Amino acid sequence: MHNEQKITDMQTLESHKKTIEESTNTNSLNLPDFTTDSYKDAYSRINAIVIEGEQEAHDNYISIATLIPNELEELTKLARMEMKHKKGFTACGRNLGVVADMEFAKKFFSKLHGNFQVALEKGNLTTCLLIQAILIEAFAISAYNVYIRVADPFAKKITEGVVKDEYLHLNYGQEWLKENLSTCKEELMEANKVNLPLIKKMLDEVAEDASVLAMDREELMEEFMIAYQDTLLEIGLDNREIARMAMAAIV
Amino acid sequence: MFGLIGHSTSFEDAKRKASLLGFDHIADGDLDVWCTAPPQLVENVEVKSATGISIEGSYIDSCFVPEMLSRFKTARRKVLNAMELAQKKGINITALGGFTSIIFENFNLLQHKQIRNTSLEWERFTTGNTHTAWVICKQLEINAPRIGIDLKKATVAVIGATGDIGSAVCRWLINKTGISELLMVARQQEPLALLQKELDGGTITSLDEALPQADIVVWVASMPKTIEIDTDNLKKPCLMIDGGYPKNLDEKFQGENIHILKGGIVKFFNDIGWNMMELAEMQNPQREMFACFAEAMILEFEKCHTNFSWGRNNISLEKMEFIGAASLKHGFSAIGFDKQPKVLTV
Repeated sequence: MHNEQKITDMQTLESHKKTIEESTNTNSLNLPDFTTDSYKDAYSRINAIVIEGEQEAHDNYISIATLIPNELEELTKLARMEMKHKKGFTACGRNLGVVADMEFAKKFFSKLHGNFQVALEKGNLTTCLLIQAILIEAFAISAYNVYIRVADPFAKKITEGVVKDEYLHLNYGQEWLKENLSTCKEELMEANKVNLPLIKKMLDEVAEDASVLAMDREELMEEFMIAYQDTLLEIGLDNREIARMAMAAIV
Repeated sequence: MFGLIGHSTSFEDAKRKASLLGFDHIADGDLDVWCTAPPQLVENVEVKSATGISIEGSYIDSCFVPEMLSRFKTARRKVLNAMELAQKKGINITALGGFTSIIFENFNLLQHKQIRNTSLEWERFTTGNTHTAWVICKQLEINAPRIGIDLKKATVAVIGATGDIGSAVCRWLINKTGISELLMVARQQEPLALLQKELDGGTITSLDEALPQADIVVWVASMPKTIEIDTDNLKKPCLMIDGGYPKNLDEKFQGENIHILKGGIVKFFNDIGWNMMELAEMQNPQREMFACFAEAMILEFEKCHTNFSWGRNNISLEKMEFIGAASLKHGFSAIGFDKQPKVLTV
């Protein structure tokens, strides 16, 4: 059987050289040609999603500030950072001569955007934080982590800078939810049940374009689950609670 | 703190365990879901040495299963993500168990130091191979006489002699045991010749030639599934030490006076109070474990925070002696046969 043969090969530690060659080849093959039409076509949508994502993040943090006025300064700082990221990613598209398909991106975020707006209107801070500070942030950071490995040199540098920032403000929503966990857990679980499946759908929707950019769907999903799990652990949920929440991603 | 990175022996097994642990989101998932599952820190444990020192440790399941071996990128990610988690948890020394170290070595993961915002520090990890090699040698020395094999007259074949563990076992056998003859078998001839030169001893031979001559066979390479072995041609008695992963020798060799021992497994002097070795299908899961895992514990007991076993062919006799002495001191012993050989016949 195929797998067993593979096990045997590895176990002897003698297919060593061959495997390294394979792995090196795979790595170098991973970098796509940034100049082809198909790359640019896919990039026009992915780049737009990223730009729109940063804009949404900016708007969402400003909105969240209306629910916690004490944090206005901190949240405005965050929002400003997101705008800086947006500018960076806009430059990435320009550098490749790509016009971002913003209409597509707006539609891409519309459901999540709608859910955020409803929660905002009702003053459901926990839901707002789940959508922005957990889901969108984890979605972004996972995509950026995967993208860095296959980006053109210009975009790679920009994205690395962004990722550093993203790791910082992932903590913001985390901290609030951690402090208020006893009172917000139920709403968090409910909001997650509604919104995590949207993220899964968004990942699926973008998978084909992402693969043209050499971003693997499986890797994107795994990176997302890692960021998502890390945040929930940090907030103070236990393994079983996280497992229950993550269920929403596979149903 | 010490860490152990392990994984399930099969996908089915993994799902069963996930269900037991309450990880329903992956327990119900297909292989694709498992390929996207983050590593899980499933258990924290406190272990008290025979000397009285207490240490704490964690068991991390990488969510890798052997069915992923054909997916090179997935396997690589599983190992690196589990290592990142261990480091983020501040664990001083973590053993790479099962396929973890094999994947690390064969896929040359040294070139992947940066995992997200973590720069992996190799000195926090050990393959545990030094302890495994020492334990296999001890199992050989202790158990051969128990089934009527005189070491001084014994011919020992090491299958997989050029691997990290295999070459260490050969080095020990030649220098420390006084065996009559060492037969070395491996697929690649060049490293074999180098090893022979280094040892200034040992005979290079093929598997087919080695088996009928050997009183003792140490397997540190898993057996090709397709291999057919005529057990009638084996010496009787014959001691087979299954040092490979996964341990499947007993499926191949069944016969009168053929004694098979699971290699590289140790027993702790006390119950540990963890659940993970039950999942690793140890016979006495409260005390038994892979020697590579025990190496991380020993290094933590000794406050020896370094990648003690790392790379290939770095296992010296001195290192084996050091880890062996520490192993005994803290309450580990190599598993072996009872003193009644008749019970042992497989």
